[in-house]
Amino acid sequence: MLPLIFIICACAFGLWICWPKVGLLARRTQARLLAARSQREDVLKHVLKCEVNKQPPTINSVAGVLGVTPNRAADLLSGMEQRGLISHQDGCLHLRPSGRELAMHVVRAHRLWESYLADQTGVAEAQWHPQAERQEHLLSPQQTEALAAQLGHPLRDPHGDAIPAAGEELKSDVGQSLNTASLNVPLLIGHIEDEPEAIFAQLSALGLRPGMKACVTGKSEGEVRLWADGREYKLSPILANNIAVVPLPEVRAEDLFGEEFLDRLKTGERARVVALSPACRGPERRRLLDLGFVPGTIVEVEMTSPLNDPVAYRVRGSVVALRSEQARLIQIAREVTVPATA
Amino acid sequence: MITSSSTPESVAQAEEILREAQRWRQQIPGDLHEHVVEAIYSQAARLASRAVTRPGLAAQPTLDRTIDRIVTSRMWGFPIMLLLFALMFWLTISGSNVPSGLLASLLVDQLYPMLREGATSVGFPWWLRGVLVDGMYLATAWVVSVMLPPMAIFFPMFTLLEDFGYLPRVAFNLDHLFKKAGAHGKQSMTTMMGFGCNAAGVVATRIIDSPRERLIAIITNNFALCNGRWPTQFLIATLFIGSLVPAHWAGLVSAGAVTGVAALGIGFTLLSAWALSRTVLKGEVSTFSLELPPYRPPRIWQTLYTSLIDRTMFVLWRAIVFALPAGAVIWLSANIHVGGNSIAEHLVGGLDPVALFVGLNGVILLAYIVAIPANEIIIPTILMLTVMVTGSHEVGQGAGVMFELDSDQAVKSLLTAGGWTTLTAVNLMLFSLLHNPCSTTIYTIYKETGSARWAALAALLPLGMGFLVTFLVAQIWRFFS
Repeated sequence: MLPLIFIICACAFGLWICWPKVGLLARRTQARLLAARSQREDVLKHVLKCEVNKQPPTINSVAGVLGVTPNRAADLLSGMEQRGLISHQDGCLHLRPSGRELAMHVVRAHRLWESYLADQTGVAEAQWHPQAERQEHLLSPQQTEALAAQLGHPLRDPHGDAIPAAGEELKSDVGQSLNTASLNVPLLIGHIEDEPEAIFAQLSALGLRPGMKACVTGKSEGEVRLWADGREYKLSPILANNIAVVPLPEVRAEDLFGEEFLDRLKTGERARVVALSPACRGPERRRLLDLGFVPGTIVEVEMTSPLNDPVAYRVRGSVVALRSEQARLIQIAREVTVPATA
Repeated sequence: MITSSSTPESVAQAEEILREAQRWRQQIPGDLHEHVVEAIYSQAARLASRAVTRPGLAAQPTLDRTIDRIVTSRMWGFPIMLLLFALMFWLTISGSNVPSGLLASLLVDQLYPMLREGATSVGFPWWLRGVLVDGMYLATAWVVSVMLPPMAIFFPMFTLLEDFGYLPRVAFNLDHLFKKAGAHGKQSMTTMMGFGCNAAGVVATRIIDSPRERLIAIITNNFALCNGRWPTQFLIATLFIGSLVPAHWAGLVSAGAVTGVAALGIGFTLLSAWALSRTVLKGEVSTFSLELPPYRPPRIWQTLYTSLIDRTMFVLWRAIVFALPAGAVIWLSANIHVGGNSIAEHLVGGLDPVALFVGLNGVILLAYIVAIPANEIIIPTILMLTVMVTGSHEVGQGAGVMFELDSDQAVKSLLTAGGWTTLTAVNLMLFSLLHNPCSTTIYTIYKETGSARWAALAALLPLGMGFLVTFLVAQIWRFFS
């Protein structure tokens, strides 16, 4: 009896390990293949980005991006050369046509997936980049196209990077670093770099997003003061360096400083909604719109919770409570012109 | 999409149109969805302004505003809230005593002996009669008589407050606390519902529209001390905690102990919501909005009907479905003998070392295992098992038959004979708060989340906390005594 049980157990164990496609060995092989492919694609992506930003890719920079030793990176690169993905010319790495096509696909898949996470799921902002880093290797070109169509062929990802159309050239990063921006000039936050993760997490926790209008109000040793969405942010130069801005000549600085947001309104006061901040996105933005916070709507503060937050607003005849961090995303104007509907 | 009957020419044409549309779309500044919403609102406002007349400012909701100013004021907001809920609980507990007693005397004292005799006269063998009548019927009768009256009182009152429009104001008042814990203000309403019944509380989380906060509310609902656990708390507090102080303080002290346990539950709710929102639920979706509808006179009959059908009957039905097999298991475990002792005795002996280590005993742990279907049968099961283990056969009604004693003192002397100390009592009260939800609730969580993983987490998280807390209390207790 006992030997029989033993044999059955041994057989089951053996099958669990060796079964094709779902067995332990097969899974390990698949995972290894995927990891190797991901690594190759990451290298291609890095070389492509270096190329468009006019920085020469080197073995050391590849090693740095992948988090491996330079020796390992050199092995990897020679393997990729044999596959016809890259070539060495004049001591510099170059993409071969097949490598370029693959790199473009990966970048496109990455940025589309980030857009998808931002606009349709409401996954926390700090998770967008890490999740897209995984997903970019899993999406096939057909799936990527379907995703683009579903999202309405967006042009920019949530970090402000251009999403290259299939078969199009990748555009270089736009704008200058916030550290080099001149004082009191209205700026548009064009891009917030998502690497390294810790820096990006701090910026997203502060609530800074691409599309916001901003203005540098002061600079000192170790601090950049930034005015955006009706409040002042104090940033260390390391944080500021990850924000790329473009000047906004058509906006006056006084208008920017005069912007007011709903969280400043006191009980009994009325105001008109001007716009929703670009910092408000995805499901949260749609929810606010559906509740009636659309430009032109008259909003009145109805009451405040005993603990000061949330505050209830009367909007289009119904009463809706919002938390302060939501209210500060709604730009208002105090002058209430009587709308034609009243 | 392009149909299969289309010619290559029309395919090319369609693709050209799609490209054209895409080009135009990219030229629109801002978000397309936003423009659509704006257009819909302005169109609706235009139609409304043509069709609706507003005579002066008389339409201003002044009464609503006055009520709102009072119930959300800094001074009166919280006292009114506490008073209303204290009243509701008091009405539930005191109001359900009489119908509970009536039901128990009907189902247990009268119908049970009749069924037993009936089964004997029809010629059922003793074991079949035991499983069906002593096991399944009696367990279900206990559950029904203890559960039905409080639910039939609590749920309609709750629904009336909801219908009147007061509950959203409670969420409004408390939201700041829940926000700090990473949860939604509406969770205050589902927690309140959980004081009635956790399964109903889990269903009530449907009002929370943000997925992450809804999951938090579902998983932490069990920390609201439900109806089935209040009797255990009151009995143990009266017997063991109240007796520590002079008689005229006893009532106050035991009531204070029960309130303390319930408050501890709210503390654990916020604490685990805080921990969950920063760990396993980090990546989930989170939005907030809370609509405060105008007050309106509650529709009494409709409310009574829907709360009885939707909530009371729903919960009762599930409880019965789970209590039937549990009754059979309890009876069988007490009556199947292996090597001279019944299975239950073996299990108690096996669980004793672990249980004593955390300041409980094997009987309590076994009772919590067999009483997973319904917390209401904890005390009867503990009594039945204690009689069996101590061998004091002058009380009780035979192996595997649940019973309750009329006199509190008799219960206490029986439990003391079973080796109970004040530590056992304190830890039982804590464990009653912190253990896995009843199977009805677990099943409801599974249904609502659609995931066995979340159901498992919701079951194991409080259980783990229960063992940890009782262990710590036992260590500290033994250190000081």
